[in-house]
Amino acid sequence: MSSTLKGITLKGSAELVAEFFSFGINSILYQRGIYPPETFSRVTHYDMSLQLTTDPKLKNYLTNVVSQLKEWLFDCTVQKLVLVITCLETNEVLERWQFDIECDKSAKESSAPREKSIKTIQDEIRSVIRQITATVTFLPLLETPCAFDLLVYTDKDLVVPDKWEASGPQTIDQSEEVRLRSFTTSIHKVNSMVAYRKTDSL
Amino acid sequence: MAEGGDVDWELSKENIQPLRRGRAISALHQALSQQDGPSSVINQQRQAFESELRMYDGDDPLSVWDRYIKWTEQTFPQGGKESHLATLLERVVTRFTEDKKYSNDSRYVDLWIKFAETCAEPMDIYRYMQAQGIGVKQTSLYIAWSEEYENQGNYRQADLVYQDGIKNFAEPHDKLLQFHKALQARVSRQAMMKIDEDSSEDEQKQPERASLADLKHRGKKKAIAPINRTGRAIKHISGGLQSHGAPVFGSASNSRLVIFDENKTQTTGCSEPKLESWVAPPTSRGKENDQKAEKWCDVKMPQKSKFGHTIMAPPPPKPTFQPFVEESDQPPTMTPCKINPAVNTVLSARKLAREETPLKRLQERHQHQKEAESGKLQEQSMYCKDLLLGGATEFCLEELRADRYFKRMAQEAQKARASAGN
Repeated sequence: MSSTLKGITLKGSAELVAEFFSFGINSILYQRGIYPPETFSRVTHYDMSLQLTTDPKLKNYLTNVVSQLKEWLFDCTVQKLVLVITCLETNEVLERWQFDIECDKSAKESSAPREKSIKTIQDEIRSVIRQITATVTFLPLLETPCAFDLLVYTDKDLVVPDKWEASGPQTIDQSEEVRLRSFTTSIHKVNSMVAYRKTDSL
Repeated sequence: MAEGGDVDWELSKENIQPLRRGRAISALHQALSQQDGPSSVINQQRQAFESELRMYDGDDPLSVWDRYIKWTEQTFPQGGKESHLATLLERVVTRFTEDKKYSNDSRYVDLWIKFAETCAEPMDIYRYMQAQGIGVKQTSLYIAWSEEYENQGNYRQADLVYQDGIKNFAEPHDKLLQFHKALQARVSRQAMMKIDEDSSEDEQKQPERASLADLKHRGKKKAIAPINRTGRAIKHISGGLQSHGAPVFGSASNSRLVIFDENKTQTTGCSEPKLESWVAPPTSRGKENDQKAEKWCDVKMPQKSKFGHTIMAPPPPKPTFQPFVEESDQPPTMTPCKINPAVNTVLSARKLAREETPLKRLQERHQHQKEAESGKLQEQSMYCKDLLLGGATEFCLEELRADRYFKRMAQEAQKARASAGN
């Protein structure tokens, strides 16, 4: 670790946040059983064990998304990333993981690095991922085979790239929402939240 | 605390039992914030449910039970004894066993399944349900049953259960087919994986030892031990005992742990354990000390005297053979016996005659009811015993009376108000 890593630049921040999304999405897909657990392999990152998919198609898809996301993060044009889990048979939305991204656009003008060490940021990221893991305590069991979809909310004026298309918000009616922890790189701030269908009891 | 809002649930995540249908986060917060001591709000709510159970006079008594049990699940995230969940479930399932109106009610069947999951032997409960005709038209029974078989690794039975369900036209039909398909997909995928692994190299077959976390280095040394110990890192077991590291079915989620499975070593290649048809039910093992059934007609029961003392049976006759005694041996000095052997009234805690399982209690109750119907039963309670002992907690007569009184008062007040309004 050299002393240059003390501060953080826009580029570094974009990379860190994109990396978080890569690990975070993988974690959710593993925890919620969207893909069979055998298709994941364990890696150690952020000082914790994480599961990464080994499915080539999924890997490819995620790499594409994350690299696109990194560009948008660098341009500070992305507002939200949403992971939607839908029932494969009925296309009903069962869970919605929402990550709100607040970009500090002033970082685009001044290239001076911000004072926040990578270690602190990674600590914050770690607690977000831990909390994602802990949500099994209250989330309903996904009983049916499910598919997932990633939605990205960007600034309105952005040109939609070839591989992306406009989509609806895919919200859940009558949902229960739980705010999770957030983290900030001091340039990008990510607030996470999960929404799921309300239990019909009570 | 953290910007992420409340972290109560995260701090006590280990103490929250996951529910199939999830938890309402508001109920969870409420339950966790009131952890210390018996809180009055929870007690009041429970009391309200308890009296509703007893005072209900509509046509759907199950609805109260259903709400009560769901409330209990949400309010006591840790489960545990104070939730009375197991008692409640047992009460509700026995209460409506005879009620044909409910036998294929999805709520009732779900309660049965929850009850089965609290028991040690859910299979027995499912079989009992089938025999009683409870839930035979409900998909959820077949799903729960099949999943239980699947957890035990009995895929063929799991499949048969679904076929049974299809034969019985269980509803909703789509769901049944969907779950059946999912099971078949899982089984075939695992079978494929097994073939894959068998054909891979021998090196892979050696058991791997994985530590759960990286080993930290101490001091200035930077060497990091690998997490996976394979190949040369493991001592090679050569010779006769070849440990066969076939992954156990059903434990795919933690496939790093290899668990010995005796079925696998005996029948390699065959994915399911072969089903034998029993000619007679197997004798239960591990009960060597149970007496075999024998003739009892000339066995005398020990007679009780007037004072309740048991009269000692005559001592057994002396053996007809002479035990061999070594010549040099001294007869052992007797320790003086402090207890008079004639007195035989020492009290000890009563042992349970046999294992009490919820299912046995159920069957007994069933038997009991049949006897009551045929008029054989001697005992008859002349007070409303069911009402007092109906819920999870016991009521006293005064409480019931008070409840009735308050209800009447409320009705009268309403009437008075209505007439005053006119």
